[in-house]
Amino acid sequence: MTTLLNKLIDDNESEQFGILDEYSKREIRRAVLTAVAVPGYQVPFGSREMPVARGWGSGGLQITLAVIGPNDIIKVIDQGDDQGVNAVNLRRLIVQSTKVSETTTAAKSSIVQSRHRIPEDGLDQRHILVLQVPVPEPLRGVERDMRELARMHAEADYSKMWVSLYEDKVRNGVITQTTGYPCLVNDRYVIATTPIPRWDIPKLDHSPFLTLFGAGREKRIYAVPPFTKVEPLTFEDVPFEVEKTEGATCSQCGSNSSFLVEIPGTQTRWVCSDTDWCERNLEGN
Amino acid sequence: MGYAAARGGLAAIEAAENLVRRKRLNADCDWVTPDQIVGRFRLAVDRVMGEAGLWEEELAAIAIRQAEGDLIEAVHLLRSYRSTLPRFAYSEVTDADELRVIRRIVPAFRNPPGPQLLGRTSDYTGRLLELSSEVAGQEEAQLLASLALTHEQHPSQPSSDQQQQQPRRLLETLREMDLMVDRRRLDDPDPFDITRTPARPPASRSARLSSMSRAETGSLVNQWYRNILGPDGYLHEVTLGEVRHGYLPLRIVHPITGNPVAIGNIRVTEVEAIEDLNGIEEERDRFDVGYGICLGHNEKKAIAMANLDIACHRDNGRSQIEQSLLLTTDGLDSSGFLEHLKLPHYVTFRSMMERKNAVRHARKNGQSK
Repeated sequence: MTTLLNKLIDDNESEQFGILDEYSKREIRRAVLTAVAVPGYQVPFGSREMPVARGWGSGGLQITLAVIGPNDIIKVIDQGDDQGVNAVNLRRLIVQSTKVSETTTAAKSSIVQSRHRIPEDGLDQRHILVLQVPVPEPLRGVERDMRELARMHAEADYSKMWVSLYEDKVRNGVITQTTGYPCLVNDRYVIATTPIPRWDIPKLDHSPFLTLFGAGREKRIYAVPPFTKVEPLTFEDVPFEVEKTEGATCSQCGSNSSFLVEIPGTQTRWVCSDTDWCERNLEGN
Repeated sequence: MGYAAARGGLAAIEAAENLVRRKRLNADCDWVTPDQIVGRFRLAVDRVMGEAGLWEEELAAIAIRQAEGDLIEAVHLLRSYRSTLPRFAYSEVTDADELRVIRRIVPAFRNPPGPQLLGRTSDYTGRLLELSSEVAGQEEAQLLASLALTHEQHPSQPSSDQQQQQPRRLLETLREMDLMVDRRRLDDPDPFDITRTPARPPASRSARLSSMSRAETGSLVNQWYRNILGPDGYLHEVTLGEVRHGYLPLRIVHPITGNPVAIGNIRVTEVEAIEDLNGIEEERDRFDVGYGICLGHNEKKAIAMANLDIACHRDNGRSQIEQSLLLTTDGLDSSGFLEHLKLPHYVTFRSMMERKNAVRHARKNGQSK
């Protein structure tokens, strides 16, 4: 017992790799393994308080710090941008506390932590994509009571969700769900796809990479393992639509095949949200 | 370029950090030490320790100073500091009857068993802003210091009186009068650890109590008031049976001898709230009791907690009061999520704009048909 205590004290006094203590990392890894074993199921975990506020990527940060090793190469984006304020802050925390290398190019990384986007290209079976999740519960819009929500997931009773999509279509002519589009994973669990745009949803389906979703505030981890079916909820005669604006092209690299964000002004311009992709496209790579 | 301006970049973040640091450390006034904060802002320190779930006055004071007085921010600093520490041991169970009171009031009786000990309270003091000069204040401080010395030489009360220090609970008297519903359980389940397992409804009572004990004070007060006057209306106003502030010993098992050893004291506020049962299916000839306890001196919180504890028990899953208590009262959760709205949201907003246009198109096409 004293040996253990002394060892623990020694461990604790040596510089900590990745902020969290080793017990916490082990606990998070176990939750991640459960999540991979049951695709789409929201695994509860004892989310720790992090040096970033709840709602600012604390769930994604915990996953990254639990799975990262000294040889990993990290890429962090927010809205697709490596230089977004929160991306800079999170990358700095990860790099300072683990001394891993960083990159802005997805293909050169081994872990990508992201808020609201999946990189346009470069992810394959070598990669782990960690998405920061504000609201992990896809059914919250149709049911508030958590006891009932637990039952609905347990029994795969997604009828309220279907009714809500149907009503949306009837009232508005289109399905107006914008980002975080609900998807059925592995024909079993409906997940909230964080608020990634619908544009990114097809990238999740049978993706070669592992996607881990971390919701720190709500204390949930879920996963889409590689080569898993991810199907947006829609009707046979209502095709799933990704964001599209006729004639819009990136004002920097000229792309019309990436997710574009608008720059309002006297003359509206568009730019790629994935800044690294845009720069490489501009250089002709 | 407009696009670049929307990006933060490391330089801008560091400039903001430096500005905060410079203004904080180099403020145009005297330096403040942690023991000044502990000595002069004890209720803020207590509140931060309670909401952080960490008993350490000096660290709380450092956190308050670093957070420039933003108490939720100070709680965040303490909680994230704790995330870096492994857990070495669990304390042994301490019976709350061991509480050594420095304040104890029993509003339910004029002369309850044991003392009505007001202690350090400003409950009955007019809230008048003291505008006397700084010099007068310091002179008074010196006078009080010399008086305190004489006082200590001639203590007015024998401090060893067991009944004064550890008074019997009103609850025991009410039980003897057979006026209480007895919900004491004979088994001794491990308490639910909210720092390791997320508490979700339906949860054990210990999960509810520890969630409330660590909750943000204002949030609990609001939950209470919302349920008194707001749209939900779950709660009765209770009668307070005990309001206590005092010291509890903390013991852990010694790693070599295997015997429990006291490693220190923590100060807690403890409240028992007597509830008048009036439901059709309830024992209407008896009372029930709600319990509140939190680190430090924080009576508002402990009272709200005790009242919400019994309200939640009586609600018995009919409403979503339990979900409210477990999920919405943590200060870090609520303020962190609120503040995340300041983060860039242009990807999601772009997607929303696209759907607005899609709805317009669908409408136009529908009309032209």
